[in-house]
Amino acid sequence: MSIVLAGPTLLDKIAFVVLAGSLLGFALLTITRKSAVGALMALVGTSCAMAGLYATLSAHFLAVLQILVYAGAIMVLFIFAVMIVSRDEEHPIALRGLFLRAAGVLATGYLFYRLAWIVVYERRTDVLATTITLPIPEYGSAASVGRLLFSDFLFPFEAISLLLLVAVVAGVLLARPTRSNRRSQRGGGT
Amino acid sequence: MPGHLYILVSLALFFIGTTGVLLRRNALFVLMSVELQLGAGSLALLAFARGLGDQRGHVVAFLVMALAAAEAAVGLAIVVSVYRSRKKIDLDEINELRN
Repeated sequence: MSIVLAGPTLLDKIAFVVLAGSLLGFALLTITRKSAVGALMALVGTSCAMAGLYATLSAHFLAVLQILVYAGAIMVLFIFAVMIVSRDEEHPIALRGLFLRAAGVLATGYLFYRLAWIVVYERRTDVLATTITLPIPEYGSAASVGRLLFSDFLFPFEAISLLLLVAVVAGVLLARPTRSNRRSQRGGGT
Repeated sequence: MPGHLYILVSLALFFIGTTGVLLRRNALFVLMSVELQLGAGSLALLAFARGLGDQRGHVVAFLVMALAAAEAAVGLAIVVSVYRSRKKIDLDEINELRN
């Protein structure tokens, strides 16, 4: 049994256009803002629009996780970093070596053009064809993704948990003030 | 919606992220642009997973999300530690490891 969705309706199209447009707009704001807090808020908007796009792809579990992890956890990390390292820059765009960087951006743009051309040209292939039926009724739910995660992907799951532990320990170790630093700060204070 | 539109949005997002990584000087903004790039990759994974009717793309996107959290933790710790010792986070001026 499979749930039949009635193709892309007008409402689907409106939702896609609004979500994709706000995603790209917020992304552009993120890389162009001068103040770090403004860029951070634009990044929150990017995460929310991305979660909406995940939901239109019927990846509901990932959509919820996107909000929780990005707009919750990663954002708090960034806000603390901005609080410690608060410094607005006068010249946000690097001027030294601008030629090389512009060449890099142009190369990326060319790559984007070629890949987009391939995608548009091959849009009738099976992989990207419009599928109006869900493969299984519970596609993208927490239960079915979790079942896959704990059966076929058990080793990557455990490995990523170890990686997160290592990252937490490394974060504490790196961000702690060292002894020489503390002495210099005390010397500067008196 | 047709899947290739999602791939196009993902490509555009990746392009924006790469531009941010290449052009910004502040290390915080570079880390934010890296988050944009990772999000673009996840979006492409989910679009292909929907097209193929396969949920393994969801699992890989989940792992990418955990990886992004770890990367942000370590990257921001490095930024804070460099700022503590050098009082600057412009990537152009941090060249202690050179020569």
